[in-house]
Amino acid sequence: MLKVRTLITGMLLCSTFAISTARAQYNRVPESYIDPSTFQIDEQKVLGVKVDKNLALIDESGQPFTLGEKLGKPLILVLSYYTCDGSCSVINADLRDRLEGVTDLKMGKDFEVLTISFDKQDNLEKLGVFKKHLEDTEKLGKGWSFATFKDSEQIKPFADRLGFNYFWSPTDRTFFHPGAFLFLSAEGRLIRVLYSQTVESKDVELAVFDAKQGKFRPNEIINFATSLCYSYNYKEGRYTYNIPLFVAVGSLTFGVTAFSGSVFVFRRRRKEREKKLET
Amino acid sequence: MKLKRFFSVLNGAAMALLFATPAFAAAGDTPDTRADWDELWHEVLVDITVIGVIFIVAAIYMLIRFKATNPEQVGTATRLTTANAIGWALIPAAIFMADDFYLAAKGWTVWDHQRTVPENAMEVKVTGYQWYWEFEYEDGTTTDELKVPVGTPVVLRMTSDDVIHSFGLPYYRLTEDVMPGRITYIWFNPIEEVETLVTCREFCGNSHSEMFTAVEAIAPAEFEKWLAEQG
Amino acid sequence: MSTATTTHDQEAFNLKEWIFTTDHKRIGVMYLIGSMAAFAVAGMMALMMRLEQANIGAQFIETGTDYNEWLYFHGAAMILAFLIPGLTGFAANYFLPLMIGAADVAFPRINAFSIWLFYFAIVLALLSVVVPDTPDIMWTGYPPYAVTTEGNTSFYVFTVHLLGFSSILGAVNFLVTVIYMRAPGMGWNQLNIFVWTTLAAFVLQLVFIPVLAAAVTLLLFDKYLGTHFFDPAAGGDVLLYQNLFWFYSHPAVYVIFLPAVGILFEIIATMAKNQIFNYKVCVYGGIGGVVAIGGEVWIHHLYVTGMPDWLRIGMMISTLLISVPVGLIVMSLWGTLWRAAISYNVAMMYSVAMLYLIMVGGLTGIPLAMTSLTVHLSETSFIHAHFHFIMGLFSTYAVFAAVYYWFPKMTGRMADNGWARISFWLNFIGINVTFWPLFIIGPQGMPRRYWNYEMFPQFEAYHEVATVGAFLTAAGVAIMIINWITSAISGPKAPANPWNSRSLEWTHAPNPPGPGNFPEAVTVADDWTPYDYNK
Repeated sequence: MLKVRTLITGMLLCSTFAISTARAQYNRVPESYIDPSTFQIDEQKVLGVKVDKNLALIDESGQPFTLGEKLGKPLILVLSYYTCDGSCSVINADLRDRLEGVTDLKMGKDFEVLTISFDKQDNLEKLGVFKKHLEDTEKLGKGWSFATFKDSEQIKPFADRLGFNYFWSPTDRTFFHPGAFLFLSAEGRLIRVLYSQTVESKDVELAVFDAKQGKFRPNEIINFATSLCYSYNYKEGRYTYNIPLFVAVGSLTFGVTAFSGSVFVFRRRRKEREKKLET
Repeated sequence: MKLKRFFSVLNGAAMALLFATPAFAAAGDTPDTRADWDELWHEVLVDITVIGVIFIVAAIYMLIRFKATNPEQVGTATRLTTANAIGWALIPAAIFMADDFYLAAKGWTVWDHQRTVPENAMEVKVTGYQWYWEFEYEDGTTTDELKVPVGTPVVLRMTSDDVIHSFGLPYYRLTEDVMPGRITYIWFNPIEEVETLVTCREFCGNSHSEMFTAVEAIAPAEFEKWLAEQG
Repeated sequence: MSTATTTHDQEAFNLKEWIFTTDHKRIGVMYLIGSMAAFAVAGMMALMMRLEQANIGAQFIETGTDYNEWLYFHGAAMILAFLIPGLTGFAANYFLPLMIGAADVAFPRINAFSIWLFYFAIVLALLSVVVPDTPDIMWTGYPPYAVTTEGNTSFYVFTVHLLGFSSILGAVNFLVTVIYMRAPGMGWNQLNIFVWTTLAAFVLQLVFIPVLAAAVTLLLFDKYLGTHFFDPAAGGDVLLYQNLFWFYSHPAVYVIFLPAVGILFEIIATMAKNQIFNYKVCVYGGIGGVVAIGGEVWIHHLYVTGMPDWLRIGMMISTLLISVPVGLIVMSLWGTLWRAAISYNVAMMYSVAMLYLIMVGGLTGIPLAMTSLTVHLSETSFIHAHFHFIMGLFSTYAVFAAVYYWFPKMTGRMADNGWARISFWLNFIGINVTFWPLFIIGPQGMPRRYWNYEMFPQFEAYHEVATVGAFLTAAGVAIMIINWITSAISGPKAPANPWNSRSLEWTHAPNPPGPGNFPEAVTVADDWTPYDYNK
């Protein structure tokens, strides 16, 4: 079991490298494995796609609900499967760990998390085991739900629409799929895709800010400012500093200082001259 | 400080309004943003024409009436008293501000219509290239002109492959830039059959002025047939 | 006074003395010559563009890039090398020290360095027209186009650097001059309006230019050093450049507009022989208000770029509120005509035309301030006509009016003759014939920056009319410049104070003023103002 887990984690890491600049690592993956681009979502194609709000799902207590009920605020969507004791729990556990580091946002209040299984075989029992295995999601606050599809026929079209490719490998007796966190806006549009194992808490937080689509409340002005300081780097798959902004703020400070400095110096000089004239 | 508080209140009001707008507009009362624009435009034209005529007539009157009769003559306007000076500042400022806020309120209403995408809108993906447009329908069909069925609002999800372009739909009174790495949206409501066009409105190089294509609103049945033929 | 005039007049022309001069008046004249050179070339570009647009399809260009290169040069040169130096270089240099009774500016050598930088920039800008890959990036230089284009973006960046540095030096110099070198007894409320507006313009330059310089520098790095500051694929943000650019360039509109308003006030007050209506409100509410709000409205240049909806609405309100300080300035302009004693010369004719331009240009800004209307008006010929009225033409007329008004001061001769009036009417009719058709076809969908409009055949007649207008204007300008040159050489001698002004440059300095400006040190009384005609 440990072996399978290591293998899958390794594969996930490979997918990471596939999208990162460290492409050299790719050579270590044996030929028989699959094309690493399977682990990628073609953002150019799917960013901005709107999910079906009426998608029927079943929650962990067996109650039916629609995807639309989870929207209205940013939603982090994770597609995985519950019998998976390898990468899926790694992906979900990674998200949990990242979310633990997100201090400026509160799960349930500022955003929701939803893990959905794309495995037709998954049922409530497997879900329960999986959730237990994952531990501690409730510690983060209410707002992380686990669900299965009500109608298994809808799984494939739903995943396809988001550019999420997955398939069953009989030899490995496992699903291959991207280790992706999908950030949806309040209206259910796909705003950002981040990959497990490659991102930090800051990236998750910034992706939630992105998913707010600029709709910050006045008391969130700091968050808005934070979101301006970074911009998403498609090449590296994470957020990087928006350097020109800092350069510009520096230049503006220079301008203001130059102005106030010259006024200050010459006021003082004039006073000195006036003093001299008096004496 | 006061200004800051003013803007935070304003921002709060903006948020309240943004969230208060009904997200689920029924198909029947989908706003016609084209008519909204025309109405607002005419109101603003009347507004600025009235102001302009008042000032220009006043100027012409004074320029003729107060012409000097001999070179030694000087103007006889006297220095304003403090009360008059303040009055001549506050009253015009109040009138200008009142007009500003009136127009802002009007503009805000239309803006909400323009930015609230109806739930039942048909999605089309638009990609700008140097120098042509590409449209992708929900079934994956890609075309080089935009045809839409009459009666269904259309939301365009737009991005660019190279430089910044701008999707200008003069008939529907809309423009929005398309940029690499960013997604922008506009929506419009084709309520009658019409053959019109989209032009690029952001400078994008050599063939900027030839980056246009047809935009047609056609009968739903005809649209279905056309879409099937494209695939 | 008369001896000073003759000795200065009879000095032989010495090119070396002009190049190495530190005299603010000579520097002012050099700014005028340099900026008029840029104006002439940029104006030719405008004529070529209008000819190209006169009919559908290519008239005489080979590719769209030819047209785009003229677009670039016309915009960049008119704004950066003509309007800003024409107003804050020529007019401020020549007249501001005279108006405050100063012998020169605070740092004459730095002033000389500024004009050198300006000339380097002009040469660089003109060179960019003849290099193989002329820049074709508009005057805005938006990435990614400015980075991916074949055109030589570096010419644009270095021109901005040189002019920016020149302007910053000028700004420090003039701020110090006004704060420190006013004639004894001259209080803040006794300054000419032109001094105030120039002061405001230089404050804006000093505070905001570094931001533009930084933005274009990063653009340069992106293009030539392979950085990715504005490349979205590698973490850059395409919209940030636009934000930074307009963060400077919207205030830059006021850097141009305010000194133009100042010149308008000087001429109107003098020719109407009246005091400025509500002086303090005009200065502190009007000019001060424009400076205060001017930095918070730049998003209106980004109304259709997908900025957050609330930001676009917030900036709609702040943009509309610009009408309050501008409205106060307009009230003072109109009020100054009340119970006046107006006499007309060519400068006053240009000033009356400016009252019309500020009204039409200002009011057409109101629909453009409204986000919900701009989503259609954006990038149409309506906005093109609007900013030509309020910024281009208004400020260009200010430069022309200033030259006519102070012509006797600068040359000792009069330029106010029949030719001046003919050229004025050609010019004024020309601009209306050019831009009213554009005001009309803009809301119908005519995009700006198009050399070809085969998709809108119905607009061809309007473009033909507009092209005729452009040539009328050009004829007017040509006659005007010839008239300036001939009048400067052989015009009739001017009286000492031809317009009976009360401002210091007319009452205390000879025509033209010699080195040191004033034969005797100037002091002013407590109750003196430059506008106290009715005393």
